[in-house]
Amino acid sequence: MSLDKNMRILVVDDFATMRKVIKNLLKQAGYNNIVEAEDGAEALKVLKSMKVDFVISDWNMPNMNGLEFLKAVRADAELSGLSFLMVTAEALQENVVLAVKAGVSDYIVKPFTAETLNDKIEKILKKA
Amino acid sequence: MNDHDSLTVLINNLASDFLFIDGKEIDVPTAGKFLNTLDGLVKEAGGRKMVQLKQVAGCLSSLLEKIVLNSVEDKEAGFNALEKGITLMQEIGESIKNTGSYEGSIEPFAQVITALTGEQGVADVAEAPPEEPQPSQGVQIGDESLIRDFIVEGLEYIDEIEVNILNLEQDTENKEYINIIFRPFHSMKGVASFLNLEQIRELAHSLETILDKARNDELQVTPGFIDVILDGADALKAMIIQLRDSLEGKPAQPLEVDLPVLRERIAGIEEGKGDARERKRVGEILVEEGSVTEEALEEGLKIAGEAVPPRKIGETLIAGGKVTPRQVSQALRKQAGQAMDTGAVRVDVRKLDDLIDMVGELVIAQSIIRQNQIVQSNGDSKLAKSIVQLSSITSEIQKTSTSLRMIPIKQTFQRMARLVRDLSKNTGKSIGVVMEGEETEIDRNMVDEIYNPLVHMIRNAVDHGIEPPEERVKQGKPERGAIQLRAYHRGGNIVIEISDDGKGLDKNSILKKAVENGVVDGSHTLSDQDIYRLIFHPGLSTAKKVTDVSGRGVGMDVVKQSVEKLRGKIEIDSAPGEGTTFITRFPLTMAIINGMIVRVGGEKYIIPTVAIRQLLRPEQKSCNTIAGKGETINVMGHLMPLVRLYDVLHIRPEHEHPWEAVAVVIEGENGAKCILVDEIIGEEEVVIKSLGEGLKGVRGVSGGAIMGDGSVGLILDPEGVFELSEM
Repeated sequence: MSLDKNMRILVVDDFATMRKVIKNLLKQAGYNNIVEAEDGAEALKVLKSMKVDFVISDWNMPNMNGLEFLKAVRADAELSGLSFLMVTAEALQENVVLAVKAGVSDYIVKPFTAETLNDKIEKILKKA
Repeated sequence: MNDHDSLTVLINNLASDFLFIDGKEIDVPTAGKFLNTLDGLVKEAGGRKMVQLKQVAGCLSSLLEKIVLNSVEDKEAGFNALEKGITLMQEIGESIKNTGSYEGSIEPFAQVITALTGEQGVADVAEAPPEEPQPSQGVQIGDESLIRDFIVEGLEYIDEIEVNILNLEQDTENKEYINIIFRPFHSMKGVASFLNLEQIRELAHSLETILDKARNDELQVTPGFIDVILDGADALKAMIIQLRDSLEGKPAQPLEVDLPVLRERIAGIEEGKGDARERKRVGEILVEEGSVTEEALEEGLKIAGEAVPPRKIGETLIAGGKVTPRQVSQALRKQAGQAMDTGAVRVDVRKLDDLIDMVGELVIAQSIIRQNQIVQSNGDSKLAKSIVQLSSITSEIQKTSTSLRMIPIKQTFQRMARLVRDLSKNTGKSIGVVMEGEETEIDRNMVDEIYNPLVHMIRNAVDHGIEPPEERVKQGKPERGAIQLRAYHRGGNIVIEISDDGKGLDKNSILKKAVENGVVDGSHTLSDQDIYRLIFHPGLSTAKKVTDVSGRGVGMDVVKQSVEKLRGKIEIDSAPGEGTTFITRFPLTMAIINGMIVRVGGEKYIIPTVAIRQLLRPEQKSCNTIAGKGETINVMGHLMPLVRLYDVLHIRPEHEHPWEAVAVVIEGENGAKCILVDEIIGEEEVVIKSLGEGLKGVRGVSGGAIMGDGSVGLILDPEGVFELSEM
């Protein structure tokens, strides 16, 4: 899939301010089509109700955390190929391995710049 | 050899997937796929005892994990190693298929992997950090609005944290509470890292770390732990408020929190050493012991602090020849000992309960001896003295043991204070809480039981008592309403008062509702107190709508019932326009009751003294029978209904005429009533014993007690007796 700056990106995090931070960085990188969700469960609903091209999700959320959300996406016939970038903090290294085994497309460590974010997105999409 | 097939398939899959890798780079999804396949291989090979195969597969897993975490410097070498590993496994597989074993050594390969990963054998958790997090590039466009959002959300989170910490304190094993507290710290750390709020990020991170350890059972949730988290949350709050002030151009208030001390305390908790605040420093102990002078210590501290990295004071002093290693180790031991005896001991609550039960038995046994006929009639003065001594010692033990179970009511008050804060937010009112006597102690077994009725009273005060700010201002009251929580001991009870300075009870409204619902008829003149007491009557709710805060049909009648279930009493006092006070009284302990022993015929009963207003022998002329209403006794101008206890209990009394017997005036729900008994034997503290499942529901009796002479007495429930008398 080619790099389309108009693709729809879903940002998932339970902290509204964090979603805003990521949204701002995405906008800086040129992506403007962004939707948000508070946790894995809500995110799944969004995925089922509209076409999303890319998911950026936090790890630690109530209701359904990032790992469970990822597994649910990979298990779903329609969504299994969805590009999924996991946002993590340095404390969760062992969880990176869990995410990788669960099929995450890549991960990114907080804090990051718009440039790094863009690089990761491009890298993932080139392989998709 | 078919049983190799599944393994061969796995190995061949790895090989073919490898061929498809693009450009010698192992990306995350590919690594994931490989890792999963290798997991399967490790398991299969392990099950079939194919040690070498398992080891190689394990090495490759390690390698891939390191690659994913970006800790393999030489990417090409990593790629080549992967290729080597897969080829090696193919070789092993073939060899086993053909000859049943593999003769080569996997050592060289293992060494290659070790060189790349820095680890031996199968790794479990990656030690090296993943990609370097990048420092945020400073404040950028749109950051101010982000900071504002952070402030708002952060403060909300911290309020939530405070409430949940209290929950955790009640239930320290509950991992769910730890998770709930962990998450906000984690989130705040995340955003702070983007916004370059380094102090906040660092503090949130250290708090998050100890919480993480607690939820993985690496740390215990001790009171010291809770304190540190609470203080940490307070510090974060102060930092965020400071941030807000500077954003609004206000002069920054200096942080009241001593950050270095807090950091040290957190570090202390993390190392499992308990709250460092409680312990003396090694240096201080050395000075105390006379091992070193104050000046030498000062100098040593300076040197130790300036060393990079900072050295321990003990080491520094030894190096400077000021103390011997032995003196330092003695001081360290003393310090460790101190951490233990800072006044508190953890005891299993069940052991405590058992102890108190046994002390109760001791009281009874001792009492039986004391009241034994032979002992009493024995004239030996030495024996008498010994018995008195025994009695007095037993009494002391009993007081001390019950006091072991006593805890200050402070925690309950604090929970109520937080509740007021939450509720006032929901209702848009501004309410402050003042506490008095929060050190007053209460039996810990009662603490949870009394919380619910107290909560209802608080809800009442917030919802119906305190007026909205505008209204208060109109009345000349301060905009901020006040709720006062007061606790004190009186007469063997703990008294808890909840006062508000709100609009007070509406007498007329209550009376009207009561008449409407047929609770009273309009003919009686009721005192103010009587009218206020009506709100405890079921079916009398004057709330105009079911609000979210205190609706759901829970009325003051339920509150009264819960209070009385705990053998407590509740009263209410109010002044229109000025406020309302709920006064609840609870016995200091649930196990022992102060009872009045009464005799009816040949039977003895116990009436809780807390229910008794007075005792009297009525005069003949005070006794009347009123047609349609039954017997009454005139007590100081008040006509009170008379209940003949012997009637209710179906016993033959000694005296049938009230003026020959004794009337016990009981404080009842619907006013005072008199119970007629033959004789008052005396007041006694009796140990309550439950009557057991079979007799629990018997009306009129609330429990059993072992009396001084060893016999079992029944404790009467006055309300139940009244009900029975009306049947």
